[in-house]
Amino acid sequence: MPGERTIPCRRSALMLCAAAPLLAAQPARSDETCQSPYMAKITGIEDFVYVWTLGVEGLGDGSDKLVTVDARESSPTFGKPIHAAPVGGRHEAHHGGFTDDRRQFWAAGLSDSKIFIFDVATEPAKPRLVKVIDDFVEASGGAAGPHGAYALPGRMLIPSLSNRHGTGRAALVEYSNEGDYVATHWLPTDAEPNGARIEGRADGYGYDARVLPRRNVMLTSSFTGLENYMRPLGDLMKDGEAMKRFGQTMVLWDFHARQPRAVLNVPGVPLEIRWAWGPKNTYAFTSTALTSKLWLVREDAPGAWSAKPVAEIGDPSTLPVPVDISLSADDRTLFVDTFMDGTTRVFDVSDPEKPRQIYEKKIGAQLNMVSQSWDGKRIYYTSSLLANWDKTGTENEQFLKAYAWNGKELTARFAIDFTAERLGRPHMMAFGATALYAK
Amino acid sequence: MRPASLLGLAALAAAAAPAARHAVAHEGHAPRPVAAAIFPIPAPGSYRLPPIKRAAGGTVLDEAGRPRDLLAPDLLAPDLPAPDLPEVARGITVLALIYTRCGDVCPLASADMARLQDLAAKDPAVARRTRLVSLSFDPEHDTPEVMRSFAAAWRSADPAAPAWAFLTAPGRAELAPILAAYGQRVDAGPDGSLTHVFRAFLIDSEGRVRNIYSLDFFEPALVLADIRTLLLEGAGSGGRQGR
Repeated sequence: MPGERTIPCRRSALMLCAAAPLLAAQPARSDETCQSPYMAKITGIEDFVYVWTLGVEGLGDGSDKLVTVDARESSPTFGKPIHAAPVGGRHEAHHGGFTDDRRQFWAAGLSDSKIFIFDVATEPAKPRLVKVIDDFVEASGGAAGPHGAYALPGRMLIPSLSNRHGTGRAALVEYSNEGDYVATHWLPTDAEPNGARIEGRADGYGYDARVLPRRNVMLTSSFTGLENYMRPLGDLMKDGEAMKRFGQTMVLWDFHARQPRAVLNVPGVPLEIRWAWGPKNTYAFTSTALTSKLWLVREDAPGAWSAKPVAEIGDPSTLPVPVDISLSADDRTLFVDTFMDGTTRVFDVSDPEKPRQIYEKKIGAQLNMVSQSWDGKRIYYTSSLLANWDKTGTENEQFLKAYAWNGKELTARFAIDFTAERLGRPHMMAFGATALYAK
Repeated sequence: MRPASLLGLAALAAAAAPAARHAVAHEGHAPRPVAAAIFPIPAPGSYRLPPIKRAAGGTVLDEAGRPRDLLAPDLLAPDLPAPDLPEVARGITVLALIYTRCGDVCPLASADMARLQDLAAKDPAVARRTRLVSLSFDPEHDTPEVMRSFAAAWRSADPAAPAWAFLTAPGRAELAPILAAYGQRVDAGPDGSLTHVFRAFLIDSEGRVRNIYSLDFFEPALVLADIRTLLLEGAGSGGRQGR
């Protein structure tokens, strides 16, 4: 009778409730892999690909902008840019991300530390700039170069690359979804380990930050500071001292406490982090830009994490510079882009200890980002790395190219020349869908 | 069959329906062990929970249909004069935004609230200063009577357990500013279901939101550690600097 609920009875209700989502699980057809696990997921094929694009002086309006590409195959504008939301000026547009409810897209600028917030829910084909965060350096206590934006419940986690002095000491900065500063967590260093166990050294550099909720861990990777990433690549490569100032570590954090637990040796500039999705797959991949290796970070025993190289990417002696990676939703296929040779390589990673390359294709003269649909059938690529690091002359191809993947090879779907369209240098991509915002 | 079991079966059936269209997050929701947390829980007071924003009040209805303010100190003891209000009035609130017809995430969240209530019942100092609140964002269906019935399925009868209020709103007009303040978007689907991302809020005694949970992190042992962290902070003995 009401009010006389017994514990055993409620226990059975709990178990039934817990089982329900598993029974409801159906193959998700779409969305992008490699997103925050806290974020709402598209359950139909993507309608749009949003492209955070660097402005180029003298090209169009010259401004950084969020470009909407029509990905609806039945649309008369399929494969075309259908909208651009300029932010005014150039800010070294780089990465970004949706809020957990996917109603906003936060796009960061590496040069002046501004963060641009777009409303993508009201009119998904036409994102609208609604707010600019311009207090990042001051509010965070000196962090600079916001690299991306990672959805947490009601908040955004923004890893920085640098600080107000332009060096590589970096922090993780939290803002509320309303755009108000919440907290700063500095990466550990040898001088300030903050309780972390240090394998070799703690350089304090930052790049990506990704959470595995069910293990309460966060991984961060490491790049370099503003004094390096805003410098022309040719000059930088000749400066031996500057080339020493790149990340060599990954940090494993107690995510809930936001406390670093271990600083792992991962030499060669580990960049993008991809956690496996399988409920028993407690590992992540990263690639190292300067040593061209795939690394596996995994929990060997409860609470005991290690990092080790598991494969080479191309011929490391030719410095192919792996940049972005994308892991399929079934954890079996990893796409790896290398910037210098403009090539994408596909690895079978069903045995994460022994990745095996199964395919490669040259996409263009230069290549950076790769985004993969949840069903693994549609792959999107963009070309730009950084304004001062992109190739020059005829090799400065700026494109978004879309392919179909059948498990064996890529087949072209469409391509957009961002220079011919007078848009700029395309970088980060994110998927949009009108159905997510059904009224 | 008891109400809770019926509720569980209803959730099972609804979640298995192909038409289910609730917003789901990328991380799957695997069944949780009933007795243990799925990952190590940091020690209370070993970390800080920085204020995220002000919590919002607003007019709601309790299970008897009486209008209350969501953050009112007397929310759970409306008949007591102010000097006699229990400690809970100066304590910590865990607020979950749900609706009772929800076929997937809300039953899981209510199950987690129930487990939290059971855990907190084992610590009288925590139970006295904690209150759980489930607020429906479906006022047309979730009347005070429905919430009262829903409460009967989930609320512990253990007198040592912290209080758990089941509230609804008088109507959409009263609900809208509350949802806006908490950043909770709810969209109605053509089949009458409501699309939403589940969120719960940890609110301190000064009316500040100190943590926001998705279902993935709405782990009762973790929430309990957060509550204890705030209580230690209030006692002046907890709270690591830096966050």
